[in-house]
Amino acid sequence: MTGTADLKEFIAAYLIEAEEHLTVANTQLLAIESAQRNGDTNPRGLRETFRSLHTIKGLSAMVGIEPVVAIAHRMENFLRDSDRSGSALPQPAIDALLRGVRAIEQRIAALARGDIAAAPSEELLAALDSLGLSAAPVARAPTSVLDLDPELLAKLAPFEVDQLLRGIATGARALRAEFSPSPERAAQGLTINSVRERIAKVADIVRVLPRAVPVAPGAPGGLCFILILLTRATDEAIAEAVGLGSLNVQGIARDSPTKAVVPDLAPSIDAELDGVDDGRIDTHSRRGVVRVDVSRLDDAMEGLSALIVTRYRLARSIAALTEHGVNTRELSGIMNDNARQLRDLRAAIVRVRMVPVNELLERIPLLVRGLRRATNRSVRLELEGGDAELDKSVSERLFPVIVHLVRNAVDHAIETPDERLRRGKPEEGLLRITCGARSNTRLEITVSDDGRGIDRAAVAAKAGRPAPDDDAGLLELLCIPGLSTRDIVTTTSGRGMGMEIVKRTIVDELGGELELHSQFGQGTTFTLRVPLTISIVDAFSFECSDQRFVVPVTMVEEIIEVDSNALVQVPANEDGSPAVDMISRRGVAVPMIQLWQVFHLQAGKKPPRKAIVVRRAGAPVAFAVDRMLGQQEVVIRPMNDALVRAPGVSGATDLGDGRPTLVLDLVALSASLNTSSQPLARAR
Amino acid sequence: MKLHVLFTLAGVEYALPFDSVLQMEGYAGATLVPGAPAYVDGIVTVRGMVVPVLDLRTRFGLPRAEIGLDTRIIVAECSGRVVALRVDSAREVLKLDIEKNQPAPSIVSERSSGFVHAVHALGKRLLLLIDLPKLLGENSHDLPHALPHADGTTRFQLPS
Amino acid sequence: MTEILVVDDSKVMRDMIVACLRAIPDTCFSHASSGLEAIERLSLATFDLLVLDLNMPDIGGVEVLEFVRAQDTLRALPVLIVTTRGDDQSRERVLQAGATAFLAKPFTPDSIIAEVRAILADRAEHVA
Repeated sequence: MTGTADLKEFIAAYLIEAEEHLTVANTQLLAIESAQRNGDTNPRGLRETFRSLHTIKGLSAMVGIEPVVAIAHRMENFLRDSDRSGSALPQPAIDALLRGVRAIEQRIAALARGDIAAAPSEELLAALDSLGLSAAPVARAPTSVLDLDPELLAKLAPFEVDQLLRGIATGARALRAEFSPSPERAAQGLTINSVRERIAKVADIVRVLPRAVPVAPGAPGGLCFILILLTRATDEAIAEAVGLGSLNVQGIARDSPTKAVVPDLAPSIDAELDGVDDGRIDTHSRRGVVRVDVSRLDDAMEGLSALIVTRYRLARSIAALTEHGVNTRELSGIMNDNARQLRDLRAAIVRVRMVPVNELLERIPLLVRGLRRATNRSVRLELEGGDAELDKSVSERLFPVIVHLVRNAVDHAIETPDERLRRGKPEEGLLRITCGARSNTRLEITVSDDGRGIDRAAVAAKAGRPAPDDDAGLLELLCIPGLSTRDIVTTTSGRGMGMEIVKRTIVDELGGELELHSQFGQGTTFTLRVPLTISIVDAFSFECSDQRFVVPVTMVEEIIEVDSNALVQVPANEDGSPAVDMISRRGVAVPMIQLWQVFHLQAGKKPPRKAIVVRRAGAPVAFAVDRMLGQQEVVIRPMNDALVRAPGVSGATDLGDGRPTLVLDLVALSASLNTSSQPLARAR
Repeated sequence: MKLHVLFTLAGVEYALPFDSVLQMEGYAGATLVPGAPAYVDGIVTVRGMVVPVLDLRTRFGLPRAEIGLDTRIIVAECSGRVVALRVDSAREVLKLDIEKNQPAPSIVSERSSGFVHAVHALGKRLLLLIDLPKLLGENSHDLPHALPHADGTTRFQLPS
Repeated sequence: MTEILVVDDSKVMRDMIVACLRAIPDTCFSHASSGLEAIERLSLATFDLLVLDLNMPDIGGVEVLEFVRAQDTLRALPVLIVTTRGDDQSRERVLQAGATAFLAKPFTPDSIIAEVRAILADRAEHVA
């Protein structure tokens, strides 16, 4: 053991943990605010917030970040006092606390960038110092309804007793369950932590109390945990959830005629316990989660890519040996094992990079709250997340885009309450964001509002172009670089500014799709579709006019033989776009496009023998190619430079020869061939 | 005094600031990218990145040349973009006193489409200094939306 | 081998404490992230020292301390409380509840090492 520890080494880990606590603080403060709007308090949320700030203060003090200590210290003191008094938080206090959280966030972000954390403004510190509590602490509810040992009862906090009483009044069962830890149970995976986690799935845990008991075979540690629960499940269901044959469970609600004394109840227990309100997403338990620096995952991916490329070179060398007559059977067997191991490793790394989609949506309520106040609009936020997970780097690029669309919606699209009433709309505007997996490779996000909608004529006039026929055309106009409609806020919903960036990120950088539906006077919906991962995919490789290409397997519906005699040619269009053939596929006519023509390559010596069928907007489209080469996993590298942006090309990969091979997005390519999406070209 | 990379195109010498250059490599051709402008040969992989190759001869309106032993690509970085410049040869790296730069005579800058922004006399040699941002089309109107190709046709372009 | 149980709900905090105390020879560390988990561990294994944060979810450090002091088997277990409340009142309260020693955050590596060494030396004297 040499030398003393240097606590500064912990700064990176500190930043990660601090961020987690800040997220908790934000979420809880919003939950408190919304509970209070319903006339309720949220003592659990208050305590969580207090603890988060307390921890942040302690950690910051240890690593020596004084500015954060100064802010957190004041917030923590106020929160402790509020927690003790049991009173509600006045609105100015919530505002000040959220400002404090934001100030700490900014300093954490600065430190993460390698900058210093700035001293907090005197004004903020003064604001936090002068926070006052509101009067009237919550009255303690009578406890004659609960049948619990007095000594245990004395340990329950007032809000916990409250919670039990409300639960009982709404018909839930109030129980006490006992769990005694032991080495055998620990070996089976039953510890107080795991028991709590499992019970939490079928019941609400009000409190867990430790109790010393005489040492006995069932309780070798002389310890027993008493869990006070509220549930609608049966005793058997609870025992099953925990994984024990039976569990010592007793009811604690007294059947008493004095139930009438139970105080006046606020909203139902379900609403209070769920706490889902105003679009807040439940932050899922962080137990057992490791936050990893994304750059470390990127390193892991790079290493994996290199492994895959090396493997292909090995495979080709082996093929060459085989051609020379060497017996490579054993080698091939080893290569197969290696391939499987790489696939498994790849899957594992990809899984680590995935973050839940809800993480993307977590910050939105806070953003909307700020926008509401700044713009004086009344907006209800509905968030629909889901179980989908997406690659961390995709998520990071998506977030600013969503923020931008949300800002536009609240700031420009949604009308003032008066105007809404005049138009016969409800005073409160609706902003709805959904996020769900569209297929197992794509994520679909919609941002919709019931605001003004977009005035096509005005946008067209501003752009100096003819009015667009449809939403697709309108979207193109909005995405023209430099088009700013900020000064025509009332007629265009101000979406011009920055839409180009949205398109650049979604379509160009992420290889996704962007769609718009807007009805003037009624509302607007933006739909974004992005790939869930951007790294390694299974792909078919093929040849066309002596050039190799790959296409992701998930995109391909079928690969068919092309019988040139069975083709029917459709006469070419006047605008010079490629001629289209029709081919019969199981009795259905499918348009077939010659890939070499689309790409202006040389025609092959023989007519193409295979065609790759993809489905776009519900209809199949076939692309004729010379021959299929094989199927393999490929690492997709992005090709973002403007000079090489081409429709239908989503990136490049290395098939083992050191030269880039183009990765095609045939769905996007077929979309671009659709004549209705070429208005800009025609307009010139 | 600033370090510069010197390269040649059709016998004329040019210079580029060294701090924009990531590396210099030999060249064996690029993968064609459909729809790219005529002066883009295609893409190559450099340090794990996919990088477009600009054929400077074509960009400067000079006739194309075959790939020779001296052909090089200069991988340059500008405003976050990484691009490879294909040149006839690139051998020297020199310190130049940029105080001695003179503005390019109008006939030079016109013929080079404005890509040369200054000239530097080095003894008997005349070096033309490249305006890298201009070359890479940093102004949006320089970006290829529907640039004509050498044969006059407009390649298949999606409004992008 | 000195078995030390470090209890704090912040992983970073626990890691920092362990990093500091590794300087003491023959030490071996276990972690618990809540008071309940700490009590569970204490009931199933023997430790020579408990390093305990006051502010934790579910059950605060003081309650853990009171519970520990109420058990015959644990009465003599040395407990070092580590907390951000460095005022005299808190110190008093904690010592009255039965803490062996009290250290306020932020502390330097040297100060926590000194406290722990003192505690272990004391204990060695008493046991001997």
